[in-house]
Amino acid sequence: MMSSVPGPDKKTKLLVYTIEECPVCGQKTKRAFAVGDYVTKDSSKCPKCSNVTRVSLVYAEGVKPSS
Amino acid sequence: MLTISSAVLQVSTSDITTYLYIAFFGLLFIVQFAFGTRLQSYFAINEIGRGLNKLKVMKDKARKDAIDYLVNVGKASNDPTQRVDQFLDYVTIMPVDIDPSGLVGKIDHVVTTNNDRVRTEVGALLNQTNPVTISISENLLEVATSLNQIHKIVRHFYLLGKKTNSYFTLVQLQMLMPMIIQEADALLNATDSFKMGEPVGDGIGPVVVSRLMAGKEKRVIAKDTMMAVTEYKGRKLYVLKADGPMAYVGQPGVAIQKIVGDMGVKPSAIVMIDAALKLEGEKTGEIAEGVGAAIGGIGVEKFQIEEAATKAKVPLYAILVKQSLIEAITVMRKEIAEAADRVTEVLNRVIEEKTKEGDEVVVAGIGNTLGVAQ
Repeated sequence: MMSSVPGPDKKTKLLVYTIEECPVCGQKTKRAFAVGDYVTKDSSKCPKCSNVTRVSLVYAEGVKPSS
Repeated sequence: MLTISSAVLQVSTSDITTYLYIAFFGLLFIVQFAFGTRLQSYFAINEIGRGLNKLKVMKDKARKDAIDYLVNVGKASNDPTQRVDQFLDYVTIMPVDIDPSGLVGKIDHVVTTNNDRVRTEVGALLNQTNPVTISISENLLEVATSLNQIHKIVRHFYLLGKKTNSYFTLVQLQMLMPMIIQEADALLNATDSFKMGEPVGDGIGPVVVSRLMAGKEKRVIAKDTMMAVTEYKGRKLYVLKADGPMAYVGQPGVAIQKIVGDMGVKPSAIVMIDAALKLEGEKTGEIAEGVGAAIGGIGVEKFQIEEAATKAKVPLYAILVKQSLIEAITVMRKEIAEAADRVTEVLNRVIEEKTKEGDEVVVAGIGNTLGVAQ
């Protein structure tokens, strides 16, 4: 489920993303946040070297709704 | 002469509307003079009333969110509504301060008793032992309690002002209302992040420290607080943060006292990383450096850290990440998360500049560690 909360100006929506980082090759991937994600959690396989990635960040980004 | 007489003629023959016009403004002046404050009180009462309605909607929503979470996620065995309502009105009586000696210890005792009680009661309400769910439930109930308190206090002064017809009480409250609503709104938005288990802006300190702790052996150093030992350019680092990914803030004060006292560590520096409230006009995610104990709260932890540092004559360094109140208690914004790399650079520089090889350094990530493990 994509998490979204109202932004500071009420017009923008904040979409929450999880950043996965491969500890071996450093490859970063960005995907929608899923309940249960947390920083340092072992996540999916790295698309580049197939090692297990680790969640390095979870953050929200503002998205203006298209009118 | 001719001009004057024509002017006189003009006045004497002027329309009755001129007199009405003068009478209207005269009356307006008298009304303003006699009833001005009453009129303004009336407008203030209306405005505060509207704000109070907003606060009521907010506190009801926070209460409902907490109950829904306890039932749906916490799988509460019985209907928790009555228990939650009792919880919202629970009071923490602060110790007497007319004799300030030993006051911090007393406050610590009262606050710890309250925190333990909350956790025990929430744990008993839920039909599961998942610490993340229990900690989120605690935070949701705290938000609901805060909103309930805000609503009660505003309502008290609103009714008092109305009852005593006190213009100054009402106008002061009217002026404060926008800030009160803003704070209440921030608290209400925080419930969304808590329910999802997302890291909040206040968790930037734990995010930075979690990177130093990754892959290292961790141990419990104080209640809800973890510590690991690592190394950076010949320095031995004692890094600590609250136990994540639960919504804990831990006891960094007790932890630092233990490291410096019981463990006999002689650090050359204590570096604290925390979120700091920005002033209007400052940018979110800006980093500020300073000295002193970078920690908020009621003051107990700050006192303990200052006490330990002063006793051991250890300098305290602070690295702060600027953010607003709403950003600190809701899901971490990109600007704050991206500051983590820059904070690490600043931390490394501070360690290199202020200590030398072979030294010991304490690094503390301060803040709510929801969604940030170690």
